[in-house]
Amino acid sequence: MGEYLGTALSTFVADAQGIYDTFLSTTVFSIGGWSISQYTLWMMISFVLVIALVIGASRHLQLVPSNKLLNTIEYGYTFVKHSIGEDVIGEGFKKHIPFLATLFFFILVANILGLIPGFKAANGTISATWALALISWIYFNFYGLKELGILGYAKSFVPHGVPGPMKPVIWFLEMLSMIIRVLTLAVRLYGNMLAGHMILAIFSIATTVFMQFAFFHFDFITGIVGVVWFILLFAMYVLETLVAFLQAYVFTILSSSYVGMAIHPH
Amino acid sequence: MAEIATALAALKVIGYGCAAIGPGIGIGVATYGLCVAAARQPEMKGTLMGYFFIGAAMSEALALLGLVLFFIV
Repeated sequence: MGEYLGTALSTFVADAQGIYDTFLSTTVFSIGGWSISQYTLWMMISFVLVIALVIGASRHLQLVPSNKLLNTIEYGYTFVKHSIGEDVIGEGFKKHIPFLATLFFFILVANILGLIPGFKAANGTISATWALALISWIYFNFYGLKELGILGYAKSFVPHGVPGPMKPVIWFLEMLSMIIRVLTLAVRLYGNMLAGHMILAIFSIATTVFMQFAFFHFDFITGIVGVVWFILLFAMYVLETLVAFLQAYVFTILSSSYVGMAIHPH
Repeated sequence: MAEIATALAALKVIGYGCAAIGPGIGIGVATYGLCVAAARQPEMKGTLMGYFFIGAAMSEALALLGLVLFFIV
């Protein structure tokens, strides 16, 4: 009883070493010299799915939605419009809702697709989140420059009431934090998705290894440890489902607050 | 050489752990403030959420910089 526990543990540690390599992007197929990695493939799939869902929903708009899917999509849009756009941007929020809703739906669908076993989360690679963050960064800078002009936008980094000699220092620090926003937006989404999937992968490897030893050697204690690993895996899966939604929400609310800060200087 | 590489990899993990202490405390304080404020004045919750996310994002930026250094150094 329990003599296979140590062997199972060392096998699990040896198996878990190569886990990062499975997250590297590999070419699935290539078209005319363009290699499509598995992340790009899943990004395109979620892109097509978002377009199909939203256009399909907007074709059949009703005053009182009877279809459950339609109702869910409409709820998501209203959520972005009121909870994110109206509360955070404030005046003149309507113009930015299409952009924010696109970001929200794309990230949400990509994250939730990635949770299905065998599928890949498109946001689990830095290249995809980098592109999303850069789009958001260029968007809010463009609207800040458009609303306030180059000089006004440059001045708007310093809050009112800062004493004269401190102004250049504050301006420099605020400028730095504005530039670094592109990095933090990208790395937050990437880090959360990659780390979450890595934890799921490690826990499922542990469950498999411990269960295998328990079944092949009729070891009861190793089986109990395997069941504990499985319960942990289940709990982490629940947490990851929350994180998949939360990261889409955080990305969108941060983009909208950056837009709000750019167009309404404080 | 192998020992040096292992030690460097271990130091990276320790460094990231150290980098995560401050932002952890910071986000905890921010969440505490949001909860207390929302309990006192629930009608302000929508506005406060925006400030909370900005503050939490600023605090989290430090941990994310640590994560980036983990990969590039």
